[in-house]
Amino acid sequence: MDRRTVLKGLAGAGGLALTGGLSAPAIAQGAAARTLRFVPQANLANFDPIWGTQYVVRNAAAMVWDTLYGIDSSLRPQRQMVESEEVTDDGTTWTFKLRSGLKFHDGEPVLSKDVVASLTRWSARDPMGLMIKALQQELTAVDDRTFKWVLKQPFPKLLYALAKNNSPCAFIMPERIAQTDPFKQIGDYVGSGPMKFAKGEWVPGAKAVFEKFADYSPRQEKSSWLAGGKQMLIDRIEWIVMPDPATAAAALQNGEVDWWENPIADLVPVMKKNKNINVDIGDPLGNVGSFRMNFLYPPFNDVRARRAVLMALSQEDYMRAIVGDDTALWKPLPGYFTPDTPLYSEAGGEILKGKRDFDAAKKLLAESGYAGQPVTCLVAQDQPITKAQGDVTADLLKKLGMNVDFVATDWGTVGSRRAAKTPPGQGGWNMFHTWHAGADCINPAPYTAIRANGDKAWFGWPNSPGTEKEVTAWFEAKNLDEEKAAAGRLNKAALEDVVYAPTGFFLSYTAWRKNVSGVGKGPLPFFWGVSKSA
Amino acid sequence: MLSYILRRIVATLPVMAIVALFVFSLLYIAPGDPAVVIAGDQASPEDVERIRQSLGLDRPFLIQFGSWVWRILHGDLGTSIFTNLPVSVMIGQRLGPTLSLMMVTLLLTIVVAVPLGVVAAWKAGSLIDRAIMAFAVFGFSLPVFVVGYVLAYIFALELEWLPVQGYTPLTQGFWPWLENLILPAIALGCVYIALVARITRATMLEVLQQDYIRTARAKGLGQGGILFIHALKNAAVPIVTVIGIGIALLIGGAVVTESVFAIPGLGRLTIDAILRRDYPVIQGIVLLFSFVYVLVNLMIDVTYTLVDPRIRY
Repeated sequence: MDRRTVLKGLAGAGGLALTGGLSAPAIAQGAAARTLRFVPQANLANFDPIWGTQYVVRNAAAMVWDTLYGIDSSLRPQRQMVESEEVTDDGTTWTFKLRSGLKFHDGEPVLSKDVVASLTRWSARDPMGLMIKALQQELTAVDDRTFKWVLKQPFPKLLYALAKNNSPCAFIMPERIAQTDPFKQIGDYVGSGPMKFAKGEWVPGAKAVFEKFADYSPRQEKSSWLAGGKQMLIDRIEWIVMPDPATAAAALQNGEVDWWENPIADLVPVMKKNKNINVDIGDPLGNVGSFRMNFLYPPFNDVRARRAVLMALSQEDYMRAIVGDDTALWKPLPGYFTPDTPLYSEAGGEILKGKRDFDAAKKLLAESGYAGQPVTCLVAQDQPITKAQGDVTADLLKKLGMNVDFVATDWGTVGSRRAAKTPPGQGGWNMFHTWHAGADCINPAPYTAIRANGDKAWFGWPNSPGTEKEVTAWFEAKNLDEEKAAAGRLNKAALEDVVYAPTGFFLSYTAWRKNVSGVGKGPLPFFWGVSKSA
Repeated sequence: MLSYILRRIVATLPVMAIVALFVFSLLYIAPGDPAVVIAGDQASPEDVERIRQSLGLDRPFLIQFGSWVWRILHGDLGTSIFTNLPVSVMIGQRLGPTLSLMMVTLLLTIVVAVPLGVVAAWKAGSLIDRAIMAFAVFGFSLPVFVVGYVLAYIFALELEWLPVQGYTPLTQGFWPWLENLILPAIALGCVYIALVARITRATMLEVLQQDYIRTARAKGLGQGGILFIHALKNAAVPIVTVIGIGIALLIGGAVVTESVFAIPGLGRLTIDAILRRDYPVIQGIVLLFSFVYVLVNLMIDVTYTLVDPRIRY
């Protein structure tokens, strides 16, 4: 008899008096094996993947809602809910046919009208959706299983838009739900994906539960990321939110949870030592560290000041600050596209390579007219990645002789202040730090941060006609060679104008108990094919 | 007494209104915009504005506050901006774990701290007294999260006696409920055990010098009777006060403890809501905490009359 049994007996005796009986249910081994306890990267604070675009919402939504197409591990769109598609020779009319037997969780069949309503809502919020919407002539249901999308001019990346994995994905919902204003949140979480959302068990900030959808009809192909047969081998998945990494690490070691999506680098060595735990790179597409300079105000409205910063920055300093001394976790990134993906390019990347030249950088900064004015640097202290980068940048700027106004705050404040176009001294800013999922940096379609169309661009409002020209060229490219050529030119132009400063490419680990199998690598945690033994 | 209790409860209403106005104003002027958080990185300023409008965040301060007060008066705490769930439901989900944690901590504090304080006073100046007071200083000085991590390491990871995280409702059994609360209650209780033990010792020392204690001794009353019947009862008022204040302070301590032990309580909900600027949730929680604080004070006052018959209202 171990101590825990003794304690249990003693407490049980006391509890009998208070509760009228000991009712500690023993969980059957089989039931335990059919439940996977997962610690997600963040809290699932809302559950509308169109309204809220956080990665954690997308990750949960990928279980509950299916997509017409799914991106696979070779970054190609594959049919998912769709059985077939036809496009006219002029590329303007797409006709799609849904697979037969698709059902929503409420038992209703998936019909074309559901697809039309879902795509309409999605296209009001998604950047690619907005591009398609601007070209749209009509989107209509032809019959229950057929729908047609007629465009004013071709959009060669249409299938990619429907398959892409970055938020918001083109998830298909029942028409009654999809008719919700895209700027208002849905409250009914019925999808046609392999898992149902147990709304009654949802405790936002603590727990979200998903149950296997018995009527899901997976494709017959082998699963690959969001494509192929999504075979669920687990009956129930419990997402347990743990704000404290040390607690998550202890719970995984103790066997109280089965899989921790994002262990922090500091705790990885402890888990690697545990014989019951597997630790591996989770997302091979990793992340791109970045800080953005505000093009609207001095000193960074002058390209020479921006280039001076690029000439002096050491990506190794940034990466070591983020991931520590594990050199397997990072790579230098003399460009903007995710390493080891088809469009990766180092064209124009010399400025980020080799020995850092502070003298030349200082000279260039002086030429830009910088005269010691404060540089307002926003840093979210509650995000370890931004905090680490902010500290390195402050040191870098000081070494360059800049007067740093280091604004240490929380992510909520950075999130709203970075949207301010006012001068830095009046509530605006000169630079802020963030990072981008590598999956979003594989090509210009999901890559908001690379856009440089001035007022319409992402925070910092970079204006680089050369970059924008190549973004358009990529969208119009007819094959991979043309895409690669455009991406190379885009990389060069963006580095010349310093659309933003890439601080390096870094990976992170995922960790799971050894009785769990089927955990794969991907831009999000995929639960199909995952099983667990007792 | 009943009219006194009713008067006190009525008197809490303006206090809560002032607290609510203060909190509402503070959030209104604080930086950060929930619409920006909701809209995500790829949203345009127009998108953000539309979300702001749909949430009513674009309306003037007084209208927002007035509308909130109006809803409160109708028993509606509003709806969370992020989860789209009623605030009352969210608070209801989190109340059980926090109340359980506070209850177990309080029980632990009383059961451990009061006897320790009594023994320390009884053996004043001895090695036992010094050891208890050293323990009290130690407990008072250690932050909750440090104690929490150490306890989790020893009792959960090394010995595997207790779980490291989570909460199980009492409806699922007494032991599953208790085993999740033992470590957090010890971590959270350390400071209060130290505090109550020190106050108990000091008060008992004072009471033990009184003439009636000497008389009791002279009458030949046993040590236990003197300490626990005569002395402790007369020392009870300050001890009850400290325990009462401790309940209010426990609310603050629960924030850290619930994070360390992943307990889905009100403390974690508060932090999450503040970081996301989820105004209706923050307002609801503050209102609840204010009410609890006022109620605890009332209960302390009422308890005085029970332990000291000289006190009348």
